Amino acid sequence: MRAFLLDQIDRLRDHLAAQRSLFTPQFAAGSSELSWLPLSHNTPSAAIERPLLATYPAKQFFFPDREILFQFDGADFKETLPKPAPQILFGVRSCDLCAIAYQDQFFQQDPYYQARRKATLLVGIDCQLPCEGGFCPTVDAGPFVRDGMADLVCHQQGGRWLLISQTSEGEALLDGLNLKAAAEGSISQRSRQEPQVAAQFPSAAHIETGIQRINQTQVPAELWQAMGLQCLSCSGCTNLCPTCSCFTSYDRPVDNGFERERCWDSCLYDAFQREASGHNPSAAAGQRVERFWFHKFSDEYFKTFGRYGCTGCGRCEKTCPGVIGVHSVMKRISAIL
Amino acid sequence: MTADASAHNISRIIQTICPFCGVGCGIGLRVEQEKITGVEPLASHPVSQGKLCAKGWSTAYAVDPIDRITTPLIRENGSFRPASWDEAYQVITEAFLAAAAEKGADAVGVIACARATNEDCYAAQKFARAVLGTNNIDHCARICHSPSVAGLRQTLGSGAMTNSIDDIEKADLIVIFGCDPTENHSVLGGRIIGAKMAGARLLVVDPRLTRLARMADLHLQLQLGTNIALINGLLQIIFANGWEATEFLSSRCENETALRAKVAEYPPERVAAITGVPEEKLIAAARMYAKAERALLTYGMGITQYTTGTNNVISISNLALVAGQIGREGTGINPLRGQNNVQGACDMGALPNVFPGYQEVAQQTNRDKFADHWQKKLPENKGLTSLGMTKGALSGEVRCMLIMGEDPVVTDPDQHHVQRALEALDLLVVIELVMTETAAMADVILPAAAFSEKAGTFTNCERRVQLIQPAIAAPGEAKPDWQILGELASRLGYHHMDWPNAEAIFNEIAALSPLYQGMSYPKLAENHGLQWPCNEQAPNGTPLLHRQQFSRGKGRLIPVSHADPAEVPDEAYPLFFTTTRLHYHYGCGSMTRKSPLLERETPSGILFINPADAQALAIKPQTKVRISSRRGEVETGAIITDEVPPGTVAMPYHFKEAPSNRLTNTAQDPVTKMPELKACAVRVTNLEVEHK
Repeated sequence: MRAFLLDQIDRLRDHLAAQRSLFTPQFAAGSSELSWLPLSHNTPSAAIERPLLATYPAKQFFFPDREILFQFDGADFKETLPKPAPQILFGVRSCDLCAIAYQDQFFQQDPYYQARRKATLLVGIDCQLPCEGGFCPTVDAGPFVRDGMADLVCHQQGGRWLLISQTSEGEALLDGLNLKAAAEGSISQRSRQEPQVAAQFPSAAHIETGIQRINQTQVPAELWQAMGLQCLSCSGCTNLCPTCSCFTSYDRPVDNGFERERCWDSCLYDAFQREASGHNPSAAAGQRVERFWFHKFSDEYFKTFGRYGCTGCGRCEKTCPGVIGVHSVMKRISAIL
Repeated sequence: MTADASAHNISRIIQTICPFCGVGCGIGLRVEQEKITGVEPLASHPVSQGKLCAKGWSTAYAVDPIDRITTPLIRENGSFRPASWDEAYQVITEAFLAAAAEKGADAVGVIACARATNEDCYAAQKFARAVLGTNNIDHCARICHSPSVAGLRQTLGSGAMTNSIDDIEKADLIVIFGCDPTENHSVLGGRIIGAKMAGARLLVVDPRLTRLARMADLHLQLQLGTNIALINGLLQIIFANGWEATEFLSSRCENETALRAKVAEYPPERVAAITGVPEEKLIAAARMYAKAERALLTYGMGITQYTTGTNNVISISNLALVAGQIGREGTGINPLRGQNNVQGACDMGALPNVFPGYQEVAQQTNRDKFADHWQKKLPENKGLTSLGMTKGALSGEVRCMLIMGEDPVVTDPDQHHVQRALEALDLLVVIELVMTETAAMADVILPAAAFSEKAGTFTNCERRVQLIQPAIAAPGEAKPDWQILGELASRLGYHHMDWPNAEAIFNEIAALSPLYQGMSYPKLAENHGLQWPCNEQAPNGTPLLHRQQFSRGKGRLIPVSHADPAEVPDEAYPLFFTTTRLHYHYGCGSMTRKSPLLERETPSGILFINPADAQALAIKPQTKVRISSRRGEVETGAIITDEVPPGTVAMPYHFKEAPSNRLTNTAQDPVTKMPELKACAVRVTNLEVEHK
C-alpha cells in the first residue's frame, strides 16, 4: 500500500480514462439523478466531492440485469461467455465496494461474473460526510474504503487528495502521472479521521437493536405479517440492493432454436419459491419479507461472508413504495417489547 | 476504447415516463448497444419520488425487440405476409373509400389508444373527423372512466381528478372507493400506505377484502352493485345528524332540497339490507367523512363499470359536495385513471362527442372553429362509441375499422360478440407493436413505434402533461402512430396532417385546446410536466381544481336511485361474478406478459373464490373449474381466498387463455354506453368432480 499526493481528482480520472473504458456516476444534463455512465468529455466531478450515491450500486457491471448464458441453434450449443475489454469503475463508494467484495464470494464459481470482474479495476472514494439515509459505519462498510476493497482509493485531505494504491494493478495505472509520494503519516492521519466522519452519522440505534432482535428471533410473526401486507412485490429493494444476487433463467425462442437468458429475480415475488406442484414454502408475503431481512442481517450469513448482507447504503428505503425499507423496518422492530 | 458486445456497457440513460397506468411515474431507460436493458427510478420525479412498481421495473421486457411487428403485414390465404407501406396504404384507402362510397362516411370508424401519446390520439381523432368525415372515434376510456367524464361534467363541470397526487399526504382521511391502488396504481397506492403510516385514517369501500381494506380503520364490505344505496345512506345519516357542510352547501352548491328528499328514502336499516353493511358501520363512516378536516376520496372501476356507472359517479360527487370535501388541498374527488394516457386520450377528443379539450361536437361554433383550423368541413352526425362500432359491424352498418394499439378481443365484454363483429368487417386495420388477439384478426397490420422509440406527451391521472423521449430507434419499419395516420391522410388527399415532428402536433393541440393553451415542450421539460388547465390565468398549471367555484359555476347535487345490476344471481347462475386486475399485469397483457418474471407471477388458475363457496362445490386450491354465464364459458383453476366475499367470484381480465370477457355482460350505462364489467351472474362447476 502506497500513498501519493494528487492536486485535482479530474486529472487522475482523465488519465485513467485514456487507458481503459471508464464509468463513473454522473448527472444527466439538467437532472439531479446520479447514474453510472461512461465518462463523457468535460464532465465536472461535482458528484465525486459530494456524499452522493448513484441510483444503482455498481453490481450490474458484473452481474447484469439480463445476460445470455448460451445459445442453441437446433444442432449445437454455443458458448456466450463475455470477453469484456478492460474497464475502470471510478468513484465507487465504500458501501458499494464492500458489496462487490461480498458478491465476489457469492459468484466465485460463476464464469460470467468473473470474466467481467477480472477485467475491471476499482477506484474507490472515501466519504467525508454522511449521505442521506446511509448508515455504513453501523455495518462496518464505511465511510472510508476498507483495505483490499479497491485498486485505488481517493481520499480528500484539505484542498488536496491522498491517493492510495491497494494493488499493484492499481499502482500501474498511475504510470505517467508523476505523482509525489505523500508525507509519511498521511495514511495513519486518514485512519484517525474516519471515526470523526462516522460520528457525524445520525443515530442508528434502531438498526443495532433490530439486528439483535432478528438474530434472537424476537420479531413476532404478526409484525412480519403487517409489514408483508405493505410489500407490493415491486422488486425495487432487491434490484437496487448492492448485495442482492438472486437470478432466474428462462429460454427465449430465437430463429431455429433458443437462447437461455438469466435475469435478476426478487425473493419478494410471490412465485419466487413456488414449486412445480403449486406448493409454495413462502406463500405469505410476511414470510418473504422476513426472509429478505434475515438474509441482510443474520449472523448465519456473517459467518460465511465475514459481514452482513447489508452495507448500509439505504437505497431500499428510498425506492420502497410500501414504506418497508431498512429504516422503516428496523424502527418498527426496535419499537416492539 | 470500446468493449466487447457481451460486456456490460451503458451508453446512456434517457429520462421519460413509465408506460403503465395513469400514475405517470418518472423512469430512466438504460440503453446499452442500442438496446433497452433496464430502468432506473427517478428520485427527482414529483409523482414517483424514486419508486416504481413491478410493471415499471419490467419495462425493458415490455418493449423488447423479440416478437415485435417490424413491417406492414397483409392477410393472404389465412396468414400474414410482409408488405410495403405503399401496398398496405393502397389496400386500406381502397377499402375505406369503397365503404364510404357505398354506405356513407359513418360506415368507417377509428379506435384510438389510451396507451399512445396525446399526439397520436390527436392525430387519430383528426383523421376520423377531417379525413374520414365521421365522428366514429372512441377508445378504451369507454370501458374505464367514461362515466367519470360524463358524471363529473354534470355535477362539477370537469371530469378529471380534482386534486393532485401530492394531496394524499395532506389529507387526514383517505377514502378508497371501489379500487385497490396498491395493485393497479402501486406507486400511488404506496403513497396512501405512507400517509397511513404517518397517521392518516383509511376508509375503504369495496366488496373485496383488498390490501388497503386489511389496513383500513374502517372497511365497508358492500354487496356488488350497491354503491348508490350506500352513498344515499351515508348522505341520509349526514343530513339527519346535521353533519353537512352548511355554509359550503349554501354558497357553492345547488339543488340541495331535491337531494335531501331523495336520500330520505334511504334510512340506515334499508341501506343495511340492500348493501349488507351493518348500520353502525354506515354511521361511523358517515361521521368519519363528514367530520374529517380534509378527506380525500379516490375511486376506480368499482364505481364506473356498472350500468349505473354515471349515477354512481354522481353519487360520489353528491357525497363530497354535501360534506364540503372538495375545492381544498387534501380533499377532492379523484378518479384513478387506468392507462398511462387515458386522461390524455380523452383530453384529445378521441371520443365521439367532443373535440380536443372537451369542446362539444354538437355545438356549431366548435365545429366551425375546428373546420376553420383543419380546413375541412366537419361531420355533424353523432359518432358511435367503441361498443357501438362493434354492434354496427355486426349489423353491417360499419364496414371498415382502424384500431390503434387496443385489444378489444381480450378487453371488451362478451368476447364472442366482439370476434363475430370484427370478422364481419370488410377491412380491419390494426396498428400494433406485437401480435395481439385483435391484430391476429386484422386484414392489414401496421407496425407501430413503442413509447421508448418516439417523442410525445402522456397526461397522467392528476392532469399532469409529461414529455416522453425516444431512447432508441424503432425496430424495422415501425413508426409513430401519428406519422402512419398522417401518411394515410395524404393518400386520401388531406395534407394538414403532415407534421414534421410530435412537437408540431403538440403546438396545434395547445392552439386549439384551452386546457393545454399555455403549454409547450420547453415548458413541460422545465417543470416535470404541467397540470391542466394551463393558460394565461394559470401559466404554471393548476394542481387544484374548483378552488373558488366549480368549472360549471355551482356544484350541482343530483338525486339518483339505487338500481340492481342488469344481471343478478338466480337459480341457473347462482354466483355474482366480478372482474379485477393483478399488480403484475396491465390491460390485455401484451406488454407485461413479455417479462419472464411477471409471467411467472401469473397464477396457474385465476378464479378467485371464497372458502365457503369453494367448500360447497368441493373445490380445493387449483381444482379445475368451469365458469359459465349466459354469454359463454371459461375453464381455469381455482384460488381459494377470503379476498372475495361468499357468493361472489372474481377473475382478472388480462389473460387470453382464460378470458373473463367471455362471461361478462354487454348491458350498458344508458348515458355513456359503459358495459357492466363489474357484475354479472355465473355458475361454477367443479370439473374434477364431474370427471369422477
